[in-house]
Amino acid sequence: MPLIAWDDRFSVGVTAVDHEHRELIGLVNETHERLKRPGADITVSNFLGEIYTRISAHFALEEKLMRASRYEHFSEHKADHEQLLDDIRDIMDDYEDRQVFDEERFAQRLATWFSDHFRTHDARLHHKLG
Amino acid sequence: MLKKIMRYSGQGLFYGLFVSVIGYFSVAPAYVHFPADQALIKVSFSHAGQPLEECRVRTAEELEKLPPNMRVPVVCGRERSPVKFELELDGELLYRAELPPAGLSRDGASTVYQRFAVPAGRYRLRTRLNDSVRVPDFNYTQETDVTVVPGQVFVVDFNAHTGGFVFK
Amino acid sequence: MLRYLVAQSGDEIFRRRALLKTIQRSGRLAFTLVEHAFDHAFGPRINPFYHLGALSFFFFWVVTASGIYLFIFFETSIEGAYRSVEYLTHEQWYLGSVARSLHRYASDAMVIVVLLHLAREFVLDRYRGVRWYAWITGVLLLWFLYASGIGGYWLVWDRLAQYIAVVTAEWFDWLPIFGEPMARNFLNNAAVSDRFFSLLSFLHIGIPLFLLLGMWIHILRISVAKTNPPRAIMIGTLLALTVLSALYPALSQGPADLDTVVSVVRPDWFYLALYPLIDVWSPGVAWGIAGGGTLLLMILPWLPRRREAAAAVVSLPNCNGCGRCFADCPYSAVIMLPRTDGLPYDSQASVNPDLCTACGICVGACPTATPFRRKTELIAGIDMPLLAIRTIREKTLTATTKLEGQDRVLVYGCQPGIDLTGLAQKGVGVLTLPCVAALTPSFIDFVITRHHADGVMLVGCAAGDCYHRLGVDWTEQRLAGQRDPYLRGRVPRERIATAWVAPSGAKRLTQALDAFRSRLRDMGPYQKGGSLPPPSASPSSNHGEVSDAAYRLG
Repeated sequence: MPLIAWDDRFSVGVTAVDHEHRELIGLVNETHERLKRPGADITVSNFLGEIYTRISAHFALEEKLMRASRYEHFSEHKADHEQLLDDIRDIMDDYEDRQVFDEERFAQRLATWFSDHFRTHDARLHHKLG
Repeated sequence: MLKKIMRYSGQGLFYGLFVSVIGYFSVAPAYVHFPADQALIKVSFSHAGQPLEECRVRTAEELEKLPPNMRVPVVCGRERSPVKFELELDGELLYRAELPPAGLSRDGASTVYQRFAVPAGRYRLRTRLNDSVRVPDFNYTQETDVTVVPGQVFVVDFNAHTGGFVFK
Repeated sequence: MLRYLVAQSGDEIFRRRALLKTIQRSGRLAFTLVEHAFDHAFGPRINPFYHLGALSFFFFWVVTASGIYLFIFFETSIEGAYRSVEYLTHEQWYLGSVARSLHRYASDAMVIVVLLHLAREFVLDRYRGVRWYAWITGVLLLWFLYASGIGGYWLVWDRLAQYIAVVTAEWFDWLPIFGEPMARNFLNNAAVSDRFFSLLSFLHIGIPLFLLLGMWIHILRISVAKTNPPRAIMIGTLLALTVLSALYPALSQGPADLDTVVSVVRPDWFYLALYPLIDVWSPGVAWGIAGGGTLLLMILPWLPRRREAAAAVVSLPNCNGCGRCFADCPYSAVIMLPRTDGLPYDSQASVNPDLCTACGICVGACPTATPFRRKTELIAGIDMPLLAIRTIREKTLTATTKLEGQDRVLVYGCQPGIDLTGLAQKGVGVLTLPCVAALTPSFIDFVITRHHADGVMLVGCAAGDCYHRLGVDWTEQRLAGQRDPYLRGRVPRERIATAWVAPSGAKRLTQALDAFRSRLRDMGPYQKGGSLPPPSASPSSNHGEVSDAAYRLG
């Protein structure tokens, strides 16, 4: 059962952006899967690093498109991106430094981190990007 | 505060140095291009020498062979003679040259530009020119007394239309 | 025999190269000494020596503006030329004279800064390899600059102009290109015509226009070219030149009279240094110096050729066309092209190896150049073959694993900047990059928040003088949250130090490092959540502001 399911509300109307959204959802779901398996430690770290890298690139592309279209809510959207990147780094560090690990809480944190942004900021982008 | 004063003084100093260098070297040091007590004789003219061959009249057969639009009766060769030139001051030869006609076909004018610095004073000036190989000696000659003052530019020119040398 | 010849020519090149290197080294020392003094007076951000090219542009504008004013009053006839300039100089002493003097002095200033600029770029070895283009165009521009200035003096038709006219004509007549000697136009007063004069006037507008065109061509291959010096310097130099113009106005040297020879002349040595040589030696020798000198300068980029380090390489699976490398490259070597690999992105980055100097700034801008271990191989969307991020990561770990204590610092420095070997000591690791901006901010995050060191120090060239032009600016803006990629707000700024120092700043650098480490000791180890509030993430148009690293030198 995937942690996050694709919802059409996640679509922004731009192929590249939607492609990356799907990729990221896939990564998050796979991370969630790997949590339960043995030898999870390194794998989960690797997956989190992969998510961080991919989402950094994704935000960069989205910001480029927003700037090009002179998107009216650019500043707020970008601020949210920066906050999200800080958050995912927090999640990564918490995982590395964990004494005790609560799987479900971790999974929820990851899912919320992702879908909240989608539901709010990205949804507003729909059809706004040239 | 003191630091600021030091900084601005430093800047002022460098600006001052910059514009002082500009101000000075834009007009100094002076340069003596030509001695003050001498005069300058400039020899310069542009004169086309006579053609090497005499102009001749084409015969009737030659004219027949030519296309109708090219039947010019008199034809002159293109190549010109070199111009021989001599300049003497008080009997001493100052300059002699054989000036070739300009151009690839050697049919342009012969030109000369030469400068001679001479002490100011009075001279007997003699110029001679030959502009045709078919004439044995110099066919233009001129002799004159000339007085040059310090700084004067004395020009030796030549204009066939006015009859020969022009001294200015 | 062939081997012997090759060995001999190798020796020749080696000797020539050694000679060039000696000249460069002594030149660099001379510049460093002078720049050090100017750094104290002006500070490294506005030190005029770091803005010589921009100053050339500035003086050009001053000359143009004053020239336009002069043009309004100038009469293009033999009689009118001298008279109109005299009118401006004496009757209009409050404005016309200042304009005329500014016109002269600013053009002299332009010669000074242009020649300094040429010398400096030579001494810093920024003329070979990829940068041959700017060098060659610059050398050719010198001829236009001199022609412009000399033409200007000609127009005044005073004794100096007479001298210039006659000597220039006689100089050009040495070349076998004229059917009739040009000097015949200046035989005596009767020979000069008003029409020739109009031609000169036309040339004095046309040649400077070509100079301007050339200046634009000269800066085509670099991005964000600085054509304005810092405002303080513009004001300062303009003020200084105006004061000079008011106190020491430019004057004419008596009306031209071709019937008399010019005896004593007061030349503008900035433009006319070669002219006495035409008299003293011969026109031929002068051509040798001018022509030969130009040719020698022009072949310098190939004496010897510079083999640039391998150009940056794009990895398409890791590139989504975000364009940050394109925005940051100082040499316009990265462009965005339509996608070729079928992925659903619009564009991809593409590197032109003929323009790439391997500075690595593009890697510093790439969002995928992060050191955190990942599922796929550690390759960035744009990467440097000689110092890939994989290697930077390894070297970072190697440099930090053996560090002990509570004041461990990792110093990232740059290869063209100050030598870092003097900093290596117990508790300090050192890593040199092609440029300090080749480091993605995520590496700073990695080192500090993953406990590899207690603090990170970034050492680069003096603030106004980044060898790769934009490295210091980009780094500061990334740290301050003004330029992508931002340093994560959660990274505590008090654990970051920046030091922008000239080669002469070794002692200050050591002191800064010691002070930094002392504060780190007081701070204790890094704890998550104990940082200052992150900087505002809104894009700011404030360029050139200092970073918000806590410790800033320079």
